[in-house]
Amino acid sequence: MIVRVWAVAVLTLAAASTAVHAADPRYPNWPCAQAKVPEISLAAVWAGPELGDAETKWKDDAKVAALVSKLSARKTPMDEAEKSVKEFLSGSGSDKTANAKLLFAGLFDTLNAQRSQVMNGLERVSRKQRDAADKIREETIQLQALQGASSRDDAKVDALSNELIWKTRIFEDRNKVVRFVCEVPTAIDQRLFALGRLIQQEME
Amino acid sequence: MWRVGLLSGLLLAAAPAHAFIAYVSNEKSNTVSVIDTDSWTVTKTIKVGQRPRGIEFTRDGKFVMVAVGDDDTIQVIDAKTQAVVDSLPSGPDPELFAQDAAGKILYVANENDNTVTVIDLEKRTRLGDIQVGVEPEGMTISPDGKILINTSETTNMAHFIDTSSRQIVANVLVDARPRYAEFKHDASEVWISSEIGGTVSVIDPGKHEVIGKVNFEIPGLRKEAIQPVGIAMTKDDKTAFVALGPANRVAVVDVGARKVTKYLLVGQRVWHMAFTPDEKYLLTTNGVSNDVSVIDVAAQKVIKTIQVGELPWGITIAP
Repeated sequence: MIVRVWAVAVLTLAAASTAVHAADPRYPNWPCAQAKVPEISLAAVWAGPELGDAETKWKDDAKVAALVSKLSARKTPMDEAEKSVKEFLSGSGSDKTANAKLLFAGLFDTLNAQRSQVMNGLERVSRKQRDAADKIREETIQLQALQGASSRDDAKVDALSNELIWKTRIFEDRNKVVRFVCEVPTAIDQRLFALGRLIQQEME
Repeated sequence: MWRVGLLSGLLLAAAPAHAFIAYVSNEKSNTVSVIDTDSWTVTKTIKVGQRPRGIEFTRDGKFVMVAVGDDDTIQVIDAKTQAVVDSLPSGPDPELFAQDAAGKILYVANENDNTVTVIDLEKRTRLGDIQVGVEPEGMTISPDGKILINTSETTNMAHFIDTSSRQIVANVLVDARPRYAEFKHDASEVWISSEIGGTVSVIDPGKHEVIGKVNFEIPGLRKEAIQPVGIAMTKDDKTAFVALGPANRVAVVDVGARKVTKYLLVGQRVWHMAFTPDEKYLLTTNGVSNDVSVIDVAAQKVIKTIQVGELPWGITIAP
């Protein structure tokens, strides 16, 4: 009985996980509610002057590179990040505009790369979840067949139902993690936009 | 001296005649921010139920209704006391709603059970349900109140519902993930935004046919970032504003030509919008940067950014 309840729950779960939101035909493995934007375009986050060669040169400036890695880390609180930007730019003197461009170019590169990594991971897990759901569905049918067999093998039924319970738990846990991780690309978007806005303000 | 007097007189004349009040639902912080359009500041933050999204003033301006999806209801805020005073019987996970011109009947799209709930606003009771497509969302009523349009996110359709028989009379296929529907004030066209399709479909409501499309293209921006959601049209039906989500822009559209004339950079992930009653300003909710942008409608310029709660979703302004 318990097994049967589980099986029904699993089936519902597996079906629900794929139909929470209308899928985007371009990205069938994208598991998040917000439609996928594969990478952030510069025009979406920067209305300042053209970055020009800052896009490649920021890496050569040790001070900028160090600041970029500090500001890109999610463990750096936003108010601390904002303070560092202000300090760096106000101490830049006549290099202020050039430094501002280098800094934003570095943040744009680094945070975009970070975001792509997270998104690739999400799609990988989503693919695995789909396979897991298929497997659970298959085994549920097998279990039902075993339970209904005329010469029922109790040991086998127990083994398979235990396995199913175990697999379902993993499936559910991963689903929770996916929902949580779906917020990460947005948090990165948010950080990049906020720092970009501040850098542009400081340039004025 | 005389000149100064004249100048200050002019400035005085240019100042807004009276301030308006805007209410913004913050989906993640479970609050509603109240904005004064004179000072452009948040004057109060009201605690509401879980996951507030669709928000609208009653026609008499006395109450604000806000759909709190995770609490499966619509809460009613008294605009005078700025406190939640009642709730309305929606279905599960209400998201957006529309009221008739008289402000007597409310139609609510319930995202989770594929229905639209019909509510008597005076008695605050449920009159019935209409079965619609999967994940109903966008809602609008024709200016004469006879046709209700509801979009379904998953079946990519706009359902035309006869409000007297409460039956679906036509289904019109639009581009992927339709989010919002808006009638022209003269009722000659309905505009429907498609978030994944990246377009706005223009539908002839008499023939139930797509008669045109508005396309968007922003140099240097990936196509996937252009996700049209909110639509706001000026009363003269000449200009439409379309919120483009993570493109972080609002498109200004020539309604007659169905062509974009300008893109305005606002905050991050812009979804919904509301005009002040004098149509001088258009306010937009920017869900990721957690702010509201103020657009000067005549100048077509962003003049202000106001920080609100987390994940601002909907906005309504007192009539």
